Amino acid sequence: MAALNIKIGPDPRLDMAKFANMAKVREETIQATPAKEVSGVFPINENAKALHPDFLELVIDEVIDRGCAEAKTFVLRRPDGAPLPYFRAGQYLSLKLPLDGSFVTRSYSLCNSPKEALEGRYVITVRANPGGFVADRLLAELKPGDKILSSSPQGFFYYEKLRDAKQVIGLAGGSGITPFLSLASAIRDGIEDFDLTLLFGSRTEDNILFREELDAIAAECPRFKVFHVLSEEKKDGFESGFITADMIRKYAPEGKEYSVYLCGPEAMYRFLKPEIAALNLPERLFRRKLIDVTKTPWECEGYPQEEKGKTYQITVRQGPQECVIPASADEPVLVAIERAGIKAPSRCRAGECGWCRSRLLEGTVFIPQENEMRRWADVHFGYIHPCCSFPTGDLVLEVPGEFF
Amino acid sequence: MPKYDIVVVGAGNAGMSAALQCQLMGMKTLLIEKHNLPGGAATSFVRGRFEVDPSLHELCDYGPADNPGDLRNMMDKYGVKAEFIEVEDCFRCVSTYRDGSPMDVTMPNGIEAFIDKMEEYVPGSREKMQQLFDLFQEVLDGIAYITASRGNPDPKILGTTYANMLKTGAYSTQEVFDGLELPEKCQDILSTYWSYLGVDMEHLAFIHYAAMVHKYTSRGAYILKHTSHELATAMVERFRELGGDVWFNCRAEEFLFKGDHCCGVRTNLGDIDCNYVLANINPDIIYGRMMPKELVPEREKKLSAARGRKIGGRMYTAYFCLDCTAEELGIHDYTIFLPGTAYSPTEYENIMKGMEYNNFSIFNCYNIANPDFSPPGTCVCAFTTFGSPVDWDDLKQEDYFRFKEAGVDKLLKNLKEKLGIDLSGHIEEIEIGSPWTFARYLGVPEGGVYGYEARDWDGMMARMQMIGYDYPIKGLRPIGAAGPRSDGYTASMICGQLMALNALLDLKKWKEEGGKA
Repeated sequence: MAALNIKIGPDPRLDMAKFANMAKVREETIQATPAKEVSGVFPINENAKALHPDFLELVIDEVIDRGCAEAKTFVLRRPDGAPLPYFRAGQYLSLKLPLDGSFVTRSYSLCNSPKEALEGRYVITVRANPGGFVADRLLAELKPGDKILSSSPQGFFYYEKLRDAKQVIGLAGGSGITPFLSLASAIRDGIEDFDLTLLFGSRTEDNILFREELDAIAAECPRFKVFHVLSEEKKDGFESGFITADMIRKYAPEGKEYSVYLCGPEAMYRFLKPEIAALNLPERLFRRKLIDVTKTPWECEGYPQEEKGKTYQITVRQGPQECVIPASADEPVLVAIERAGIKAPSRCRAGECGWCRSRLLEGTVFIPQENEMRRWADVHFGYIHPCCSFPTGDLVLEVPGEFF
Repeated sequence: MPKYDIVVVGAGNAGMSAALQCQLMGMKTLLIEKHNLPGGAATSFVRGRFEVDPSLHELCDYGPADNPGDLRNMMDKYGVKAEFIEVEDCFRCVSTYRDGSPMDVTMPNGIEAFIDKMEEYVPGSREKMQQLFDLFQEVLDGIAYITASRGNPDPKILGTTYANMLKTGAYSTQEVFDGLELPEKCQDILSTYWSYLGVDMEHLAFIHYAAMVHKYTSRGAYILKHTSHELATAMVERFRELGGDVWFNCRAEEFLFKGDHCCGVRTNLGDIDCNYVLANINPDIIYGRMMPKELVPEREKKLSAARGRKIGGRMYTAYFCLDCTAEELGIHDYTIFLPGTAYSPTEYENIMKGMEYNNFSIFNCYNIANPDFSPPGTCVCAFTTFGSPVDWDDLKQEDYFRFKEAGVDKLLKNLKEKLGIDLSGHIEEIEIGSPWTFARYLGVPEGGVYGYEARDWDGMMARMQMIGYDYPIKGLRPIGAAGPRSDGYTASMICGQLMALNALLDLKKWKEEGGKA
């Protein structure tokens, strides 16, 4: 281009020298600064690390037997009693448990108020699960003083005031009560700002988990109400049968928008699906805590029935390591990895969090439609979430590392 | 112990690019990433039925097939295949001019269209705008010439062909605007882009600004069809295809040295032996906590001190997955800049004073550029603003969730007041990314994705001229937004490539000298 008639510095003849001198000026600026030990510590990064550590080393401080409710509550602390990461009421811990040479993860909702985290206290509750691999072992074996490894609080089952209605109808079944106990405590403590009406399904009156605790919060805090629904008993003062659309409408605020929160066992999810649909709620007003992937994949739509009962081999690569392990077509790939004692990451076990995301280099898997929550490119390029992928052939899989 | 020629630490944009370049040149390369995903900020997350891109607004240097930009050329060279979509308009900016009058401008792509539109908003600006764009072009050509000369340009050619670049190249954007006597309203509209580089116009090197704006206006802006995660995964898979190894959830704890030569990396998956490390990590973190203190040269301590921890772009973002269409919400623009004032030094100052004073935000609606971005009948929008240490350094955990929600509430109110767009009652999924979030996932100091502020003496061109001088650790080079090309998707990738080439030269030289290789 033609020379610009532009005057910037006091003497245009010096502009070019200035350009040529940029490096020199920079070096002079650097040299003129006194040297200081470089610190790699930044406040925001320290804050983030404190809130979201790789894992937590906890100690069981107290075990409370829930008697007829067939559950135990475990109070967890750090060995030194220091404050624990704060959390959103409704979040869960993913425990990392060494059992018989396996490393398995199980998620348990925190059931105390977030403010107790600041006092160094997390509380979870484990309910008996006959035939399951983990819950009954934990109930039988864990005792005060035992050490336990856990993730930091995880999950998206929490109240979001920019999204949710001010009135929430909670639907809980069995041990699905735990996140609601935390949410109710948080409302009582002024941490959460919404009204919660809880419909809590139990088999019998004796079997109600946390009955006293729930009643105590309801007595203290008018924003929380609880109604019990008994499936195996008819009693005055209780709803009976299963939770239905009509029952939800009965307790829902009249003429006002409300959100529905759901947490319970798989059977409850299946039963409630058409009931929730009958409410005609927009999707934004229905939140559910995801449950573990199905134990009966052959009941899922699209399952290749001839796979049931077969066994395969998985070549698992992790960093520089490689090993070959057996796998059942009836179990998620993650379970095979855990049985083999490999420390591989997992948290939600429902396909949602993506923490177990792994590269499937060879082979095919079946993924139940309700657990398909992968990113577009992960589907496109062959990444799977082992927690909800069932092998349908021999696999070669690259899994991420772990930090403990 | 596993052994590699080169270990690239961090699969951000710079790291993926560096790894591809090394592997293409036949080096046995390992790419390790502390997260379980590639891309760093160039990623995505899933909430409910939505997938959201957390960082990409627009790529300035992809360009159409018949006018390819650096990024398209680089992806072609690497053999990376991903689907890009062109963004129609340049930007809309709703703000206040310096003189207090209201601003609402929509600038198109294409240099001519841009200048025409400016003439509409600021009558009589055409000639000056034409001069400015000619100058942009010369600057771009000049940078290409200097790069091609590998830092040894012929002073004669510089003095004749690139005289205007030399004349303006050492000044701030504001100084050049004033020197050109650009009308004030023109300047205010042109200031809109300052936030993409995180330095206000009085401190932002003109040459840096010129290169970016010219690229946007001449080649148009692009996004990925399936979020940045598509590009990141495509890069990683191509790297694998070329024979490279990738380990996720593998974090470098420290760098291992033999004498003064970096020869390995200690990670949670064990020690790795190598001849060279390219670290997509901020230099302050490398020097401060990942290598022996006694090996950090005095000059590097001075450099770090001179930069004084001026970290650019502490991101504070909010993502909304909405249960209605953009049309139904009255959203018609892909990018709307909403600064409190068009005068960038004031805007910058207010941002740094904290959320109470910060009135800056950028509002994006992905479905405007890509109607298939989310399920039918829905759309995804995002806010971007900056955080200040005033708010985020000493914030308590128990106040964190509420605080970040309150800031977003303010952004939503601002959007409603300024544009009449009301998202409430339609939010199906929401996620908020604070500087803590970016610090957590990227490991960048203070959650700042722009590296060190590229301002004044530490501008992009000055850094470029000193590539051999900064970070003189044998066998260990930092790459990324804190590097010579400063921040940005393409800039980081170019930085990664450039440093990979330099590493390969180093290795070749050592081999010839009979040293370690």
